[in-house]
Amino acid sequence: QVSVINTVDTSHEDMIHDAQMDYYGTRLATCSSDRSVKIFDVRNGGQILIADLRGHEGPVWQVAWAHPMYGNILASCSYDRKVIIWKEENGTWEKTYEYTGHDSSVNSVCWAPHDYGLILACGSSDGAISLLSYTGDGQWEVKKISNAHTIGCNAVSWAPAVVPGSLIEQPSGQKPNYIKRFASGGCDNLVKIWKEEDSQWKEEQKLEAHSDWVRDVAWAPSIGLPTSTIASCSQDGRVFIWTCDDASGNSWSPKLLHKFNDVVWHVSWSITANILAVSGGDNKVTLWKESVDGLWVCISDVNKGQGGVSAVTEGQQNEQ
Amino acid sequence: DTVPPQVVPGADPSTRQLCFAWGPAEVLVCETLFGRAGGSRYRCLSRSPSPLRFWSEGRAGAAARTLTGSVAGTGQGTPSSTRVFVVRRDQDIYIQTLRKLFNESHGIFMGLQRSEEELAGKSRKAQLVQVSKNYRSVIRACMEDMHQAAVSARDPALQGQYSTQVSILSAMELIWNLCEILFVEAAAAGPLLLRLLDWVRLHVCDVDSMVREVLSSESPSKHKLFWNVVDVFVLQGRMDEARHLLSKEASANPTSMNMYKILDDLMKKMPVPSLGNTQTLTELELKWQHWHEECQRYLQDGTFASNPHMESICKILLGDEDAILEKKELMTTWYHFLVTRLLYSHPTVKPLELRFYAQSSMDLFLGGESSPEPLDMILMAAFEFEMHQVIKECSIVLSNWWFVAHLTDLLDHCKLLQSHNLYFGSNMREFLLLEYASGLFSHHSLWQLGVDYFDHCPEYGRVYLELHIERIPLSTEQKALKVLRICEQRQMHEQVRSICKIMAMKALRNNRLGSALSWSIRAKDAAFATLISDRFLKDYCERGCFSDLDLIDNLGPSMLLSDRLTFLGKYREFHRLYGEKRFPEAARLLLTLMTAHIAPCSFWMTLLTDALPLLEQKEVIFSAEQTYELMRCLEDLTAGNPDKQKFQDDDDETTKVEMLRLALARNLARVIVKEGTVEGS
Repeated sequence: QVSVINTVDTSHEDMIHDAQMDYYGTRLATCSSDRSVKIFDVRNGGQILIADLRGHEGPVWQVAWAHPMYGNILASCSYDRKVIIWKEENGTWEKTYEYTGHDSSVNSVCWAPHDYGLILACGSSDGAISLLSYTGDGQWEVKKISNAHTIGCNAVSWAPAVVPGSLIEQPSGQKPNYIKRFASGGCDNLVKIWKEEDSQWKEEQKLEAHSDWVRDVAWAPSIGLPTSTIASCSQDGRVFIWTCDDASGNSWSPKLLHKFNDVVWHVSWSITANILAVSGGDNKVTLWKESVDGLWVCISDVNKGQGGVSAVTEGQQNEQ
Repeated sequence: DTVPPQVVPGADPSTRQLCFAWGPAEVLVCETLFGRAGGSRYRCLSRSPSPLRFWSEGRAGAAARTLTGSVAGTGQGTPSSTRVFVVRRDQDIYIQTLRKLFNESHGIFMGLQRSEEELAGKSRKAQLVQVSKNYRSVIRACMEDMHQAAVSARDPALQGQYSTQVSILSAMELIWNLCEILFVEAAAAGPLLLRLLDWVRLHVCDVDSMVREVLSSESPSKHKLFWNVVDVFVLQGRMDEARHLLSKEASANPTSMNMYKILDDLMKKMPVPSLGNTQTLTELELKWQHWHEECQRYLQDGTFASNPHMESICKILLGDEDAILEKKELMTTWYHFLVTRLLYSHPTVKPLELRFYAQSSMDLFLGGESSPEPLDMILMAAFEFEMHQVIKECSIVLSNWWFVAHLTDLLDHCKLLQSHNLYFGSNMREFLLLEYASGLFSHHSLWQLGVDYFDHCPEYGRVYLELHIERIPLSTEQKALKVLRICEQRQMHEQVRSICKIMAMKALRNNRLGSALSWSIRAKDAAFATLISDRFLKDYCERGCFSDLDLIDNLGPSMLLSDRLTFLGKYREFHRLYGEKRFPEAARLLLTLMTAHIAPCSFWMTLLTDALPLLEQKEVIFSAEQTYELMRCLEDLTAGNPDKQKFQDDDDETTKVEMLRLALARNLARVIVKEGTVEGS
């Protein structure tokens, strides 16, 4: 059974655009068209407002929590073209960095795996993706990928950290050679995969399958398999699951999860990557799991107790 | 089927969408309006006024189901809800009375995993049956507790909840018991029937109160429900008890003595399977056939014609379906009917024959009036030996994974499950255990049980543990240490490092430098250690003393983690030596700190200032060579680097430099004299 364990009345004065739990599920961050970012303590079913952060001059689209080893850090991005990084210092939340390098709305922010350091990817309507890396002492280094997607970039999502080659414990102080990758989705109907090579970000793959703007991408957490999986959703109503079987990341093949009747806005993986949640199309949030035979099935509970799992048939899958 | 409650009340599907996000153990849901980013090309409104719904799966960290509210038009632009709903599955883990179930079954589970696999054949089977019985007794104990809770609850809603739990547990025990008989024990024809009889007697309790009432009345044979109770005994194959009651009736009505004697005799002689190997099935069948014919003769002779009750009993003994079905109310369930039928028509039924009798029993009993419920379907699947079906149906109907996970694990140990490959290639047992254990992790203390379950999932247990254990809030140092121990025991180095870093950061934010330092040493985090060492040194400069001396004094080899940390350790050592008046050693160390570049340049001034008292001792401490070195250090500091302009500008600094130069010169003078005169005396 599923139950509502808490209802947080955010008192935002306008539409909420994003709500994110922190790493441990103890704090909730929300952002809204009212230009504010709010943080609540939600332990034990409570809701205590910890911070009401002002700094944006337009609707705030997304918030993202950094890994707790870096402290309590939250990033937010907004229509006002800014990315703000907030930090809790001595019990109070303050702006610790503001990035204004984009020419239009910043739509998506996503923190890299903590193993890489404190790095934030930001996707903007100006088509560029910027990567902000904390270098210490309050300093941030910026790398920009201009024209990552023509017309605009709507979403960014990092690949989980995987050390290439053997996984022998490195001597202390030495960073293993990670291959950093992330995926982005844009108004050019493409999903792109970016890889860092010699401190430069290069476009590694172009995944074409959507016929309209890609609204969200989500790279699945790793469960130790050599395969990588990305989910993408689009205005064309389709959700694709992309898988790549080899470690070098060369051959990605799409599988259509489902074609919805309407725009699909948001896709997201559970922490053990066994369930994909999809929001959109007919105003539903649907949950999907891969079944025995490799088909993606919608887990539904419409008729309680009668036939839980209904498989998406081949016919439906190939429907265009 | 009940209409599910609304999660986002008043949400209007034509103007709003639902936004969601995964938390570590829950899902956040709120109303929003998509389509803002990327320009206004598309407005997100759906044309169809379809009800707003969430699809959910009882198993998933899913969103709850909603019903469309009828929403009177809310003003455009004013969101009808700026609330965020936190939704979770598996709230069962928070029910206090179920805690015992989770804890004790964990013990049984672990025992089973570690049990002797070398035992073969009968002893292994006996062992597995015992495990099954243990699980069932835990369920029953929990039922008792839950029942007590229901009885003592004041709040009717709570009472209702507890009562529901009791029936769920009861159903679980019913199913498990049947699975134990059919799968774990795999009772063969003969004993199978006896087991099924026990099963029915244990679980069909609706008639118990009636039985008690009649038995405890003054003169049972006069009680209006007397014959009902006799029938109940007969239907449940409780011959002795039936005969005992009948004897009371006989003594009250001497006219029917003859009839009674015959019936009693028939009931006494009825051949039943025995548990020991005293007869073969063929022998039993033969005997039974003769007995059956005898009953038939008496019936046809009209022996019981004058007493409809006794005649009906005789018909039941003959396995007459209609006669048995007449007593529907006393049997209450189709599976009772099934077992009664088998007792009186086919006591040597073989396990694989059960399915046919089961299906027809259910059909006859329900008779098209009612349709089978989920429980019925599960039991049917069991009678059909469709283990996978049983597990699947249970997964759908039950609200948490406890039952299916443990039962499947047991069946797997009985080597009954073929490897049923699921997505990640893991088998069904592992799949269910992973789901169950994952659910435990959202609980503040039950997560520890989850660790053990993951340990026994060979394919994905480890990675699931890694992903889940990172999300446990490290609210206290004890908890962090507990989590760390678990990670260290399993060589989960990444997680160890990550946790230590998080604790170090927390300590630093709370200004507990010593704690922060020891955590970063444990994390082997050189950068952080450097940061904290700097803080220590800064503190020293400001306050003139060190905090957390114990820690710094006992750094040992971990001092080498970072240069700054090494400096911190050595600098403290210098102070200790000075305090112990071991001046030459202190002096040597001080010099080494600069010349070997262990000390950061920013600290040299402080070090040189620390040298002053050594220079002004009555005894000469620094040798000539050392003094020259010190002078050189001072000059390096003050000269050259344009950044060190402040040395010239700052009055304080200039005074210090002057004093140092003077002290060094004086020392040099004294030492030259001293060294010049050593030889010779």
